Amino acid sequence: MPSRVGFFFGLCLLLMLLTAINYENNMSYALTFLLATLFVVATLHTYANLSGLTIRAVRAQAVFPGQQSEFVVAIERGGRHDHCALRAQWPHGSQALFNLVDADSAQLRLQVPVARRGWHHPGRLLLESTYPLGLLRCWTWIDLDLQALVYPQPLPSTALPGAAAQRPDGASLPVPGSDDFYGFRAYRPGDSPRQVYWKGLARERGLQTKQYTAYTGSGTWLDWDLFPGLGTEQRLSQLCYWALALHARNEEYGLRLPGVVIAPAAGEQHRDQVLRELALYRVQAPPR
Amino acid sequence: MIQDQQVPRNALAWIILSLFTLVAPHAARLPVWVLAVYAIAAGWRIMVYRGRWSFPGRRVKLALILTAFLGIFASYGSLLGLEPTVALLLTAFALKLIELAGRKDAYVLLFLGYFICITQFLFSQSLPVVLYSLCNVVLVTSALVALHRPGEHQFNRGSMRLAVTMLAQALPLMLVLFFLFPRIGPLWTVPVKSHTAKTGVSDFMQPGDIAQLSKSDAVAFRVQFDGPIPPRSELYWRGLVFSRLADGAWSSLPYYAIPARERRAAAVTTAAPPLQYRVILAPTQQHWLYSLRYARSSTPGVMSSADYRLFFPQEIEDDTLYSVSSWPRATLELQLSAWRRRTELSLPPGSNPRSRELAQRLRAAAASDAEFVDAVLTHLRTRGFAYTLQPPLLDGTHPMDQFLFRTRRGFCEHYAYAFVVLMRAAGVPARVVAGYQGGEINPVNRTVIVRQFDAHAWAEVWLPGEGWVRVDPTTSVSPERIEWGLEQALQAEGSFLADSPLSPLRYRRFAWVNQLRLRYDALAFQWQSAVVGFNSERQVQVLGRLLGEFSAAKFAALLLGTWALVLLPVALALLRRRQVPQLSALDRAYLQFCDKLAGRGVARAPGESPGRYAQRVVSALPASAAQVRQLTATYCDLAYAGREQTKTSLRQFAREVKAFRPRQ
Repeated sequence: MPSRVGFFFGLCLLLMLLTAINYENNMSYALTFLLATLFVVATLHTYANLSGLTIRAVRAQAVFPGQQSEFVVAIERGGRHDHCALRAQWPHGSQALFNLVDADSAQLRLQVPVARRGWHHPGRLLLESTYPLGLLRCWTWIDLDLQALVYPQPLPSTALPGAAAQRPDGASLPVPGSDDFYGFRAYRPGDSPRQVYWKGLARERGLQTKQYTAYTGSGTWLDWDLFPGLGTEQRLSQLCYWALALHARNEEYGLRLPGVVIAPAAGEQHRDQVLRELALYRVQAPPR
Repeated sequence: MIQDQQVPRNALAWIILSLFTLVAPHAARLPVWVLAVYAIAAGWRIMVYRGRWSFPGRRVKLALILTAFLGIFASYGSLLGLEPTVALLLTAFALKLIELAGRKDAYVLLFLGYFICITQFLFSQSLPVVLYSLCNVVLVTSALVALHRPGEHQFNRGSMRLAVTMLAQALPLMLVLFFLFPRIGPLWTVPVKSHTAKTGVSDFMQPGDIAQLSKSDAVAFRVQFDGPIPPRSELYWRGLVFSRLADGAWSSLPYYAIPARERRAAAVTTAAPPLQYRVILAPTQQHWLYSLRYARSSTPGVMSSADYRLFFPQEIEDDTLYSVSSWPRATLELQLSAWRRRTELSLPPGSNPRSRELAQRLRAAAASDAEFVDAVLTHLRTRGFAYTLQPPLLDGTHPMDQFLFRTRRGFCEHYAYAFVVLMRAAGVPARVVAGYQGGEINPVNRTVIVRQFDAHAWAEVWLPGEGWVRVDPTTSVSPERIEWGLEQALQAEGSFLADSPLSPLRYRRFAWVNQLRLRYDALAFQWQSAVVGFNSERQVQVLGRLLGEFSAAKFAALLLGTWALVLLPVALALLRRRQVPQLSALDRAYLQFCDKLAGRGVARAPGESPGRYAQRVVSALPASAAQVRQLTATYCDLAYAGREQTKTSLRQFAREVKAFRPRQ
């Protein structure tokens, strides 16, 4: 398909043809036809530039609404043939321009803004190129099985309401911010760097993590029913905020949604699991 | 991330390079300041690239454009006409470079570059110019390709390779289009070349004019005869007939000075088979064509005049091909009209009294006009006249008296002038004919190459019962000029091409130089006649021979067929590269191993690792356990553990797999 430049080129060719006709100049005819047929040959080259590529979805970053999710896509070339000036872009997303000349594959990081909680499917990936002459645009839409998880929008509230009432054992209620230093334990991957006991490292005691603890040993329950009278999304947003807040304080917390129960724990993996449940609460399973 | 719209440095280098190669062939036609603009533009752009200077602001740009227009106007005195237009285009091309920032500017610049290639052809379509322009097209295309290779910061030739490949693929398609595209006439009148000097014989002859012309070795025209080439001494290429002598100069009769009934040539009986030949005339910016005596042309547009010349209504601005049939022996104008006789006898009153007196004395002594002609030629031969390219200057009042009785040194126009004056003074109708005489025969392709130094002037006299008869007074003085050409005639004087020491013609005595020159000339002729001279007439001829009867379906079939013939292999070559990468020899051998085991009922599950698969196989086929373990271990070693994959180790593994027979 001719690009806008291609149409401009066509206009130039027409002008050249008129010159050739009016001056009855055979070499002008020849040059005009040479350029016209160059255009025809360019269609093949442009098509070949896009063909023979393998596109693989690598991963998509889970994000909060309003942020940009980073989609990672790997593109490999099939043969030795150089591929130049390939442009990849998701609708509304950032674009990447890349060559496959010296390398056999390239990893692209494409930012796509996400909107709503759940699975974000960015649509089909546009891969296009106008190489080698810029006169023609060859493009393809690729449906990659790649989607980003979008967490609920965290909605801050001053206090975690009514958490005590929900506690089955009736023990005293941990108030956010009332943490006490408890002791050290060996560093585990995933521990927040803020809680690493850096001074200890300096004293050659190895990596240690400072442990804080709330009044309870069994952790906080983030419960669906803590927020009566709110809509589903607001509830999830509040829960999300608290999950993040508790994680930041390295407290243990559990999640209780209708049909979902996650036992209290701490750590990044746990947080990701909790956020994932929040994100996917009553969301239809992703296609395929 | 690579920026999309910027111009890669590599492309910038290509653009600047093509800029200079594009302007180079135009340089001779351009005012010097335009070339200075090129140097400044390139310098400015390079400074911008280095970050020292900035792009020009809008006001500076406007000022530059206005200055360019004014400069062109000042240099050419007009903005119309071909040269100013091209100069303007070239200046705009240079100025555009200064503001070359984004890709859009680059497109404009490069497409303009293609157009500048075309303007070059409007001035010349000779083989060297065409080859040079082809190089320019390659450069511009390379720049266009480089523009689309983002992130290339080093000047490299990679884009040129692709450009050449693509142009080579386009070339056959172009040829098909070139031969099939209908040639239609001009749609409207276009600016013509305004500042080109008229070349060749002019319609105004003073003594010394043709001597001036003889200093040039430029080709005037080339002729290809269908039959054998007549002897050199018969090759009198008539161009102009000078019937009027006024103010010491001969000129042809202007059209309006000829009475209407005298404008058409009298009928000529042509019994004998004619000489047939084709002429390719180099641009002269004049109207007349050159041909042998009594010529008719079948080429559309060629007209003939009452004095048996051929001419074109338009000025000849490009190489022009015309075909001619000539009857050298035909009798011309047996009956002379009163007006014609009066015209061909008139002399300025009171001029050259001694010459008139000589003429009347000689005529009185002769029995007939024909004898009188012989007497005059004898006079020229015996009275110590010399043939020279450097004759003394003649003053204005009685030039022929001075020439015939004092200086006696002259070039062909002196002798033709003097002869016709003597004839007319004695009452014999006569006129000067200007054109070329002789030419070089190229044995490579049997053409006659006529150059400017073959320019010649001779006379025609009208004799009762014979009509117009050619008489060349120069023969009496210098027979070598007619038999052998100018070089031989001037051998003693050494003045042949004295001003052009590099002309290959001066080195004719070196056989290989001469051979090379003649071969090139044959090629140039072929080029001019077959390619540059290709017109609708030839097109119909070629297509008729190719297709038989013409029909739209055949035409389309020819076009599409040839295109498919070229495009299909190109497409195949380009798309064959799509195949998936081949498995390595190691993987092939391992898959063979798996196939053998699958034959025993233990197929490898998709995604199953070799180790786990081996465990499963060992429990299913305990008899082959050791071999399976060993082969799997070797494979894992070679594939994953980084053991060096040498040819021998790979071959060894393949051999072991081949020998492997799984047992239950």
